[in-house]
Parts: sequence; C-alpha cells; structure tokens
Amino acid sequence: MNASGSTNNPSWFERPQNIRNMIIALVVSCAGLALADLFYTNPHPHFPIETTFAFQAWFGFVSFVVIVFLGRLLRLLVSRPEDYYESEEQDHDRDR
Amino acid sequence: MTAIADLPPGLLMMIGALFLPLLARRMQAWTVLALSALSLALFILTPSGDHGNLTLFGAELHLVRIDSISRPFAIVFHLAAIISAIYALHVRDPRQHVAGALYAGAAIAAACAGDLLTLFVFWELTAISSVFLIWASDNERSYRAGMRYLIIQVTSGVLLLSGAIVQYVETGSLSFTSFVGADEGLTLAGKLILVAFGIKCAFPLLHNWLQDSYPKATVTGTVFLSAFTTKLAVYSLIRGFAGFEPLIWVGCAMTLFPIVFAVIENDLRRVLAYSLNNQLGFMVVGIGIGTELAINGTVAHAFCHIIYKSLLFMSMGAVLYRVGTIKATELGGLHKSMPWTTTFCLIGAGAISGFPLLSGFVSKSMIISAAAEQHMLGVWIVLLIASAGVMEHSGIKIPFFAFFAHDSGKRVQEAPRNMLVAMAMASAGCIILGTAYPLLYGLLPHTLDYHPYTTTHVVTQLQLLMFAGLAFVFLMKMGWYPAEQRATVLDTDWFYRIAIPRLVAKLRTGIVAADSAVRTAFISGLTDVLDYARAAFCETGLFGRTWSTNAMAFWASALLAASLVVYYL
Repeated sequence: MNASGSTNNPSWFERPQNIRNMIIALVVSCAGLALADLFYTNPHPHFPIETTFAFQAWFGFVSFVVIVFLGRLLRLLVSRPEDYYESEEQDHDRDR
Repeated sequence: MTAIADLPPGLLMMIGALFLPLLARRMQAWTVLALSALSLALFILTPSGDHGNLTLFGAELHLVRIDSISRPFAIVFHLAAIISAIYALHVRDPRQHVAGALYAGAAIAAACAGDLLTLFVFWELTAISSVFLIWASDNERSYRAGMRYLIIQVTSGVLLLSGAIVQYVETGSLSFTSFVGADEGLTLAGKLILVAFGIKCAFPLLHNWLQDSYPKATVTGTVFLSAFTTKLAVYSLIRGFAGFEPLIWVGCAMTLFPIVFAVIENDLRRVLAYSLNNQLGFMVVGIGIGTELAINGTVAHAFCHIIYKSLLFMSMGAVLYRVGTIKATELGGLHKSMPWTTTFCLIGAGAISGFPLLSGFVSKSMIISAAAEQHMLGVWIVLLIASAGVMEHSGIKIPFFAFFAHDSGKRVQEAPRNMLVAMAMASAGCIILGTAYPLLYGLLPHTLDYHPYTTTHVVTQLQLLMFAGLAFVFLMKMGWYPAEQRATVLDTDWFYRIAIPRLVAKLRTGIVAADSAVRTAFISGLTDVLDYARAAFCETGLFGRTWSTNAMAFWASALLAASLVVYYL
C-alpha cells in the first residue's frame, strides 16, 4: 500500500482489473453459498420458510435493496440544507 | 477485602478523577489508564454477593450487588474504560480526562447498584460528567447539543427518582428487582422507571438525543460516550423488565427505523449513532423475550457491542482527527494513507455485521435464535431485515465511503500510535470473542448449551451478508445507490429544536400583539378623558369660565335646599 502516493497513483483497490476480480469473486462465492443449501439439512428448523432454497440469500438481497430505496424516499421528506439548524436557531435568537 | 468490597466498584476511578487536575498534564492521561486497570483488578477480586449494606432514614440500601448480571457489565465497562483511556493518551485537556474517568467510574458503580437510590445517584452522575465530553469540543453547536443532552438525561434521572419514591411509599423497600408482575402489568413506579430507562436506552421517539449529541463530542469523548450510557440502560432493563412483552415491539421498531436514516446520513459518526440505536434494538428485543437464551444473548450482545462499537467510533475518530472532517462527501481513498485504521475499521464492520469468527456472530445469533425458539415469526423476520440493514450502514457504508469509494485526494498521516494500539486491542477483542466464545459464554447469567458454529448458522448468515453485499454492488453498478449529499437529516429533534421554539415564538408574537392592543386602547381612553377635562376646565370651559352672580346665587340656594331635604328625610 502506498502511504504517501499522489492522486494519480492508484492503489491495489483502485485498479479496474482488481475491482472486476473482486466483484467476480463476490458473485462466485454468493453462488457457492446459495448452492451450499443443497448439501446439508437444517436440523432444527423453526419456520417452514427457513427450509426453502437459499432463503436467507434472496431475503438478504431483497432487504438490502428495499432499505436503500426506502432511504431514497426518506431523503425527499427529511433532507434539509446543511446549515438548516444553525440558520434557524440564529433566527430564533434574533427574535429574543 | 470486605472493606473494599463494601465500596462501589469504580469509586477508585471517581475519586482519582477529582485529583487529576493536580497532576502535570502529560501524567493525567496515564493516570486515568492506571486507575481503570487498578479498578478492574480490584473488581475481579471482589466476591459476588450484596455488599455495602446500610440503613439510611429507615430504608435498606445495598451499595454493591455483584451477581451474574452485573459482573459481565462491570467487566466490559472496565475494558471499555481502559481502551478509551489508551485512545485518549495524547489528549492534553484536563476536562476530558476528569469527565471520562468520572463517567466510566459512575457507570460501573451504577451497574453494580443494589437499590434504586444508589442507582439514581450514579445514574445522574453519568449524565452530569458525560456532558463535559460534548462541551469539550468548544463550539456553539456542541454547547447547544450538550445542553439538550443534559436536560434529557437529567429528566431521565428525575423520573427514576420519582419512581423510586413511589416504590418506597408503596412497598417500603428501595431494592432494585423486577417490576414485571405476574399479570405482566406495571405499577406506577414501574411505569415511571421504565420511561426513565427508555430515555437512556434511546427508545423510539425518545432516541434522538443520541444522534444529536454523540457526533458533536470530541474525538475521544464519543468513544467514552458510546460505551456506557445506553448499555447501562440495557443492564437496568434486564434487571427490571426482563420478559416484559411490549419491549419486543419497541425493540423491533428500534432495529428498523435507524437503518433507513443511516442510508442517507452524511456525517459518519452520526451514521454510527443510528447504528448504535439499531444494535440496542436487538438487545431490547432480547429483554422483551426474556427467556434464558434471550437474556444470555442480550448480555453477550451488549458485551460484544461495547467493544466493536468503540472500535468503529475510534476508527472514525481517527479519521476526524487526521482529516478534520467526518462527512462522507469529503472523504474517500483514505486506505492509502491510513492502512491500519482501515484494517481495524473493517474488523469492526465485520464484527457488527455478524461475520463468522467475529464477535457479533456469536452474540446476535442468540437473540435471533431465542425469537425463533419462541416461534415469533414476525420478530424473527424483523431481526433478519435489521441484520441486512447493519450490513448496509456499518458493514459497507462506513468503511466504503471513508476509506475507499472515489479518492478524495486527501493525504494524511496514519492515526497516532496510541489510537492504533487502542484500535488493535479492540480488534483483538472482536476476534477473541468471536473465536474463543466459551470465554464469553462462561460469563453469562444462565448456563446453556448453545453452539453458534453450526453448518446451518454459518451458511445462512453468510448467505444473508454476502447477498446483501451483492445487492450493494448491484445498486452501485445500476447507479441506484443514493449518492452522498451534504444535508441535515431531520429527526425527532426537529420538534424541540424548531417546531416548539417556532410555536413559542408565534405565541409570544400573539401575546405581544394582544398586550399592545390593550395598552393602546387604555391610553387612548385616558387621553380622551384628559382632553375632555382640559376642555371643561379651560377659561371658556364649563367649569373654568367666570359665572354671573345671579347664577351663583341660584346654585347656592339650590344646594341649600337640597341639603335641607336630605337633613329632614
């Protein structure tokens, strides 16, 4: 790793080739984990849904996507300029 | 040993803190570290049981109660104090050292309090000492946030005291035991105390002091803050409200809503504050379920959480210390200049997400399993969603936007050595707790046969986390992941920072207007009377002009006649 490198000197994590390889590794391990479901049985399932194929895999994927999209919706509602509180609070001080 | 056992654990740190200002500045930090280590050694030697029994105004007090619930909390509080003290070794600010040691000592003493009065005293002391860690940032924003924090924390203490008084009047005892009756109902004292604990535990709608104040404390102060207050509340809830079912739903809400806020928050220490909230939710669910497995899981999760959350706050603190900002929009590419901090942060991120071999995996799973064993499908699903959410904000967002993402071009020094040592210790803690988990399980209140590393558990957990990671890559590639934006995210603090002041301002304007209207009307009435009087009494007025002798004689006799009539009637 480069402790004092300049901006135009990409590190290992910034080279496009390495990023592509990391993504491929992630996809392969995800596929492996999903397929692993075929090779063991859950000894103590508590809910029927637990035993369906790769339940936690798709559930994790869907939850993540839903959370991110909910975040985008929430941003429309509650996002304000960065100095929102400072300017507002100063206004109230001026009232006094 | 008995004489020492009768004194609250942590007292050494509290008394020592008061003498710190007498020492040379560079000695103060080391003294806090020495005091914390010594206090831990003393605590480990103290036998379990009730100590420090005394009678005050007819009430039985137990200053110290060490049992299988308070012991793990006091131990992890000590460890957090030691790690935080190492992290703060470079600080030359006496206020922060005094506040830190006093705060940690008070939290330890509170976790070992056997009665409600002792608990109240140390409960308030944690509030009053910790606020100085926020004020020590020395700016207007932190001063205001500290004030809000103090008001909320002291309110919690006042509710606790009210509850304790009601309890004493009703039962004649101040002892701190479960408030949950056989019929699952709470007495008035129980309700007051539940709200007091709920404020400190950041229950939904009572939570926002946490996101408001923690990110405004100093770099080292936030590390102290993250460890004690909320976990003291978790401890107290275990003691007082284990098995109180409404807590399950409170906890579910707590795990869910912060993850959505964390997605859009730009200040990474604030993201961690939301994440703290979400982790507390897991613990509150465990307390609500209340089975032996659930309580074990809660204690274990609190233990692990203190270590990995300090680690995450330490790594973000190191970034703030070196770069001068903690806004995601300003950061990125720091792995090149802060490789060690990056590594430690990744370990913390893995631990909180619950990757196998790290601490979160062996503790969070107990709570999730406890929900499954009670066949609570809804709760189980909520906890799984929350686990994916943890992966989103703490597992990916924090390390990714601080250390990787696009290069911000910022080139800074690696964190100071003492910070790195503290982070290394916490990282080692995460790995040890995750691998040598029987050490942790041995400390828990109930003896249980629970094995986290089963094939099913490892595979399903990895499926959840890796597919969540895959979802992140997918959203990034599609350009659907929301870009970081400089913004203030409104939360419930909006009500007391903006809405109520605005309402009060409106009310004030209304009162001022009504007041001035009444005054104007009165003054104009008075002016009219004066004008009339002036007109009547001037030289040509009715009373002012010179009257003729005839008229005067007439009026004099008329008056005489009138007085005669009155006299004879």
